[in-house]
Amino acid sequence: MLSRILVPMDNSDPAGRALAYALDNHPDAEVTVLHVVGVPSMMMGEAVGLTLEDDLDAAAAERAAPVFERAREVADEQGREIETVVGIGHPARNVIDRADEYDAVVIGAHGADRERVTHRFLVGNVAETVSKRAPVPVTIVR
Amino acid sequence: MVETLLLVGIVASIFVGFNIGGSSTGITWGPAVGAEIVTKTTAAAVMTGFVFLGGMTVGRNVMDTLSGEIITTELTLSAGVAVLFFIGLGILVANVFGVPVPTSMTTVGAIAGLGLATDSLNYETIAWIVSWWVVTPIIGFWIGGVIGRYLYPEINRRVRIEKSEGPLLALDRRGAVPRPELGPNTTRAELATTAVVLVIGCYMAFSAGASNVPNAAAPLVGEAGLEVTTAVVIATLAIGLGGFTIARRTMESVGGELSDIPLLAALFVMVTASTITTALSAIGIPISLVMATVMTIVGIGWGRATRPVTVREAVTRNAGDHEIVPGAITAAETADEPAAPIGEEEPAEVLRAGDLFNPRAVMKYVSMWVIGPSMSTLLAYGFFVAFPGVA
Repeated sequence: MLSRILVPMDNSDPAGRALAYALDNHPDAEVTVLHVVGVPSMMMGEAVGLTLEDDLDAAAAERAAPVFERAREVADEQGREIETVVGIGHPARNVIDRADEYDAVVIGAHGADRERVTHRFLVGNVAETVSKRAPVPVTIVR
Repeated sequence: MVETLLLVGIVASIFVGFNIGGSSTGITWGPAVGAEIVTKTTAAAVMTGFVFLGGMTVGRNVMDTLSGEIITTELTLSAGVAVLFFIGLGILVANVFGVPVPTSMTTVGAIAGLGLATDSLNYETIAWIVSWWVVTPIIGFWIGGVIGRYLYPEINRRVRIEKSEGPLLALDRRGAVPRPELGPNTTRAELATTAVVLVIGCYMAFSAGASNVPNAAAPLVGEAGLEVTTAVVIATLAIGLGGFTIARRTMESVGGELSDIPLLAALFVMVTASTITTALSAIGIPISLVMATVMTIVGIGWGRATRPVTVREAVTRNAGDHEIVPGAITAAETADEPAAPIGEEEPAEVLRAGDLFNPRAVMKYVSMWVIGPSMSTLLAYGFFVAFPGVA
């Protein structure tokens, strides 16, 4: 019986499906949605923008808000509550570092930016890295 | 035959200039356009003017390097056209895959490949150029680091960049001669900051011209057949064309990323990157404006993120453990300014902010700049070995 599940999300369709899948298949589990902000990009715009803010946590929460809103819509359809956590920096590392507090990770097969070579180069395939290195079972949702 | 070839070269030069215009207008004016201080059309028009100035003045030094100093012989027309095709190929790869291939470095690589194939490469010049390529990102990173760590927080506290509703300036038509006056909601401070943003944008446009016009123009100058002025005019027009068309998109992508950082920080980045680029162009070193820009941005972010720990701790990435690292900056000792109790505040937050800039990510950027010019050197070498007649 899985009681705590981590669902890393970005603003992509597979991420939404991953959350729906997690809620569907684990009706009694406590589901936590993680969104990582300040992800490496070509000019490091978002990352640097974050560090220059006076209140890093508030700024990070603000940037994560749209993703959590979407996550709540998915959860509402099933009448479920979710927890939310904001991470900073590298997506895969964030997920792996947090994973041992959970029983399982459910993640979308690819993120919103997979088309961009720079993104793939700088960030990599998060789902793949997580499935290789996470200390708990990982479900990849297509 | 020669005229047809020259025409092909000019078309290739326009293709190169057009794409350079798109990307450099994007980073030069993205922040100002994002902050709604200038329109995209104004940006493109001002860009064209200052690119021409930069190309005609400081850019000549870079042109001399490209067309006459990397290789010991003069570029022939056919070789120049071939080199332009390799520059264009680099740009094509950049466009298709969204990878920022630094055009100035591709150009040097292609000419060096030609030099290797024909045994006319001037190794001294190449070593000189490459050593500047190694040093420049480090300079950009450290200047950015110092700004982010010491300057930015101070200045940010004192300066507010504001944009009010309504036009910036209005015309006072009461007198016999209409006089310009401040717009309905404009403050003097706003007028001043707008002027500063414009001036800095023009400066960056100038440096873009100095470093980028030669890429499109140099291969056709000299023995290849065009006068310097003609080649610069063609390159400028092509860059302008790119500025008015595809830059609308790049201002949102490349420039949009710059807009993620506060305008004040973006201005610091622009001044630093433009100064580095102009200074190196002045001594004839072909340098990528984008590279200087990115390294300054990363430097500012890193400087700011590591602000609450001392430089030594940030460099060793070992907060709390005071081991001595040879060469680590002694700024740790001088950092006790009253306004900034560096090393004393919120270590928890810093460790999180530090996650944004791990050295491995920075190494990935650097590798991108190594791959670009290496590939163009290899391709050009292979081409000129296979078709010795072209050189």
